[in-house]
Amino acid sequence: MNINPVLLKELKVRMRGWRAAAMIALYLLILAAVAVFIIYTTYMNPYSSTVDPQASVGSYTVLAIFQFILILFIVPALTAGAISGEREKQTLDLVLCTRLRPISIILGKLFASLSQIILLIAASLPVFSTVFLFGGISMMEILQLFGFYAVTALTIGTIGIYFSVSLKRTTAATVLTYGVVAFMTLGSIFITVLYLGMVYNMSYDKFFPLLYINPIAGFSSLLSGQFGSSANFLPGFGSANAAAKGLLEPWQVNILFDIGLSVLLAALSAYKINPVRKGIAVLWKRKK
Amino acid sequence: MLTIKNLCKKYGRNLAVNNLSLEVRPGEIYGFVGPNGAGKTTTMKIICGLLSATSGDITLDGVDVIRDYKKIKEKLGYMPDFFGVYDDLKVHEYLEFYASIYHIKGSRRSKLIDDLLELVDLTGKKEAYVDSLSRGMKQRLCLARSLVHNPGLLVLDEPASGMDPRARVEMKEILRNLKSMGKTIIISSHILPELAELCTSIGIIDKGRMVVSGSVSDILQQVYSKQVIRVKVLDKLEEAALIMREFPFVDKLNVGENTLQAGFEGGEAEMSRVLAALVNRQIPVASFSQLEGNLEDIFMKVTKGEEE
Repeated sequence: MNINPVLLKELKVRMRGWRAAAMIALYLLILAAVAVFIIYTTYMNPYSSTVDPQASVGSYTVLAIFQFILILFIVPALTAGAISGEREKQTLDLVLCTRLRPISIILGKLFASLSQIILLIAASLPVFSTVFLFGGISMMEILQLFGFYAVTALTIGTIGIYFSVSLKRTTAATVLTYGVVAFMTLGSIFITVLYLGMVYNMSYDKFFPLLYINPIAGFSSLLSGQFGSSANFLPGFGSANAAAKGLLEPWQVNILFDIGLSVLLAALSAYKINPVRKGIAVLWKRKK
Repeated sequence: MLTIKNLCKKYGRNLAVNNLSLEVRPGEIYGFVGPNGAGKTTTMKIICGLLSATSGDITLDGVDVIRDYKKIKEKLGYMPDFFGVYDDLKVHEYLEFYASIYHIKGSRRSKLIDDLLELVDLTGKKEAYVDSLSRGMKQRLCLARSLVHNPGLLVLDEPASGMDPRARVEMKEILRNLKSMGKTIIISSHILPELAELCTSIGIIDKGRMVVSGSVSDILQQVYSKQVIRVKVLDKLEEAALIMREFPFVDKLNVGENTLQAGFEGGEAEMSRVLAALVNRQIPVASFSQLEGNLEDIFMKVTKGEEE
């Protein structure tokens, strides 16, 4: 089996030394502290003498939100410098003049960048599994959540890679990636509130389709689907989710949108990284 | 092997390469000479599929470089003038990465890496981290990298830039070895005497245009209409000058302290006649030589001519 050489090399470099291990250890320490704190506060309740499955839902929700925020914040930083960094280090031309296809370079860099976040998510599984102690959460629900994380990370990752290919400087690529993520998460909510306010006279029982692109809306819809109203931690999203009646849940539509966007951006990135892409125009002229 | 016809590259309104044509035959070392910004790197990048051409044709072993740029990547190795290396990789891992791109695996890969490191004299640094290498060593490692897939053509953009004299000599030796292995090499450099020693042909490029191209001796003939001979005598300088003036193919005679230098239109037969005349009339000739124009002179002459 041929593993993408770029991915293999990046994994070797990224996982070498103490940094990767220290990062995982620190992350798990924080996550475990959060989990222990929730369990501790639940069981130190003097008015409760029984195990409350609702407590595990609360613990699960807090951990899920914690990881989700982590993805939104870390993935742009990991991916926006993937290609521009190579350009700045003057190593990109050396790879481009080999037989490696542009899409292989893009996918290698993308998955290498995402490997760190995937590793963090996978390493957090044991912490997440503490919720099984109290019941109320099934393995399928955790897998669903982790699948949603993976797709969200992939989408933000391809946005980062696209800007990394398009812009010469890592700083500019990082700023733009965070900008797009901010628009998808907060901007789309802002526009939705404005739209619903103006068109439906501040009635929030409608679902504005722009929210389909919003990972927070998708995440909220996923947790709502898993636990009903108990997971309506974002004001307004419960009624919005309820209003989005269709064949698919909002999180499912969000996943489809994310996959579509990821494929498009990966293809565009592969096109843009190819230094002789304008050759198509040249060939067209030649044929004429 | 490599043929470039009427190559043009425009950046906006700027014409970086202007109707450039050249031919490199198999086994040749072709020196690409020109001032900064002349278009050498642009041309080399177009050859390697790292830049698109605005117009023109490039063929490598009969393959259209512009149309089938994917195919030619198997056939050539490129070493840029400025490049970076992956800091957290060891020397052998660096080469393993590029070998894996060409699906070179297992024992074949190990042997190839050992051979390449031996070729560039880095065997002792196999386990060292790339960022711990000196500049000269990094240049040699980059050259080894460009050879992993055994390309027939090597495109080397200023391979000796920034090297100390010793490293330059070592690089020159490696290039000679590569030539003896049958590699065709296109090399650009500012160190012109080194190119003259190494290259079988040269092309002088200025402002995107090929000013002169061909073998070093051909170019000398193109640039200098006359040869120059220099005679050193131990005595009888004035008498020697009179003898030389008797020959119609000798002109512009300059008389120095104990040397005579003159323009000369003729071949070796005429030259021997002059020498014989001097010796027959008892002139104590210490040396009799033809002054060879060097690459630096040619370069200065042709690029100055362009400016005028």
